[in-house]
Amino acid sequence: MTKPRVAILVGTKKGLHVFRSSASRSRWAHEGPYFAPQPVYHASFDPRDGESVYAAVNATFGGPRIEVSRDLGRTWTTAANPAFPAGSDLTFKRTWHLEPGHASQPNVLWAGVEPAALFRSDDRGISWQPVRAINEHAERPHWSPGGGGLCLHSVGIDAADPGWMTVGISAAGVYETRDGGKSWTNGNAGTRSPLPRGESLLGRCVHHLVAHPTRSGVRFQQNHTGVYWRDGTATRWTDRSAGLPSDYGFAAAIHPHDDATAYVVPLHDRLRQAPPPGIAVYRTRDRGASWKRLASGLPRGAQLEVMRESMAADRLDPAGIYFGTTNGEVWASADEGRSFSQVAAYLPAVLSVSTITS
Amino acid sequence: MPAVTIRLHGAFAEFAGGRRASVEAETVGGALAALVERYPALRERLRDEHGALREHVAVFANEDEMGTREGERTPLREGDVVHIIPALSGGRI
Repeated sequence: MTKPRVAILVGTKKGLHVFRSSASRSRWAHEGPYFAPQPVYHASFDPRDGESVYAAVNATFGGPRIEVSRDLGRTWTTAANPAFPAGSDLTFKRTWHLEPGHASQPNVLWAGVEPAALFRSDDRGISWQPVRAINEHAERPHWSPGGGGLCLHSVGIDAADPGWMTVGISAAGVYETRDGGKSWTNGNAGTRSPLPRGESLLGRCVHHLVAHPTRSGVRFQQNHTGVYWRDGTATRWTDRSAGLPSDYGFAAAIHPHDDATAYVVPLHDRLRQAPPPGIAVYRTRDRGASWKRLASGLPRGAQLEVMRESMAADRLDPAGIYFGTTNGEVWASADEGRSFSQVAAYLPAVLSVSTITS
Repeated sequence: MPAVTIRLHGAFAEFAGGRRASVEAETVGGALAALVERYPALRERLRDEHGALREHVAVFANEDEMGTREGERTPLREGDVVHIIPALSGGRI
């Protein structure tokens, strides 16, 4: 039996860096950057085939493109672009998130793009079709761009039901389908708006949303107005911000095995940097009812910034937790967050962190 | 039909696999179409899904930016050179 290996895929402002290690996760070999000097907003490993990696390369010159690797990120092929249909007044601008589909649909891949839209691939990323029911949703006229633009940046696939998907759109909020994308409903109930919108469920500012990979129904989001949790068949989010130093932040990750454990990196809502006493990961082990500050090994007092896609877990036991910062650092924990060590520094600004466990 | 040279600068040379191509075309638009026919991977690098030329692409007919003449309808003569250049649009943060 092959020993497990881990890699960290680090999308930066100027290319994709890859760091590979054994299961000990104590020493990391660096590869790349791939696609430099173009920004890589996200890279995603496909655990279903154990070999594919997808990268969202948002080039200034030559436009956005999606790159596909079938050898764990060592060589790459350019895919066809997601394209809005003829007659649409929307034009594909960049890819924010690439999500492998449900295990029962091994060729399906999802792309969240800007302007906010969802695309589906049935050939593992080589070609794309628009999901018109969400892209042309009746509430779309009420969607407005967040600081990063009007984008669909989060895609959560239910662990048990391939037809149950939850997406995050800035700034519109959460939308959900139970029929594989044929129809979508507003999923913002229980979240607060940063604007005086009364009872309306429009205009929520989800920053990052994740679905638990093995427990059906579990969803977790870092929102502009707090951290929210949802379990099972609940239709409303529960505010789980109490105990955090700030309601605000972008990054959010969920434990690969324990469905009650998740991680966030709170930020000051105006400075968008870690608030005093400095950078820290906060962990809950009880679905957000309580939070513990984890900063062992992290630089004291450093008011670092972590972007929405820049924290991830691997799938080992104990799980590794990773995050990257806009000043080009990558930090790793091989013990579920109890201690961190630096994997890299002086990279370009980190835009995304994801993992390969193979 | 006039024989013209296309020179690809910067990243566009990587997409085409070379810095220079010879095509026959009567207009700048025709030259771009002939180039894309030869190098299909260039299509999505030059144009969006609706056929519009992407931002940050500058196309010159000899020493004239095509927008200062007739755009893609700018006529070409034998021996003309069409340049495809990453636009000078630095400074973005």
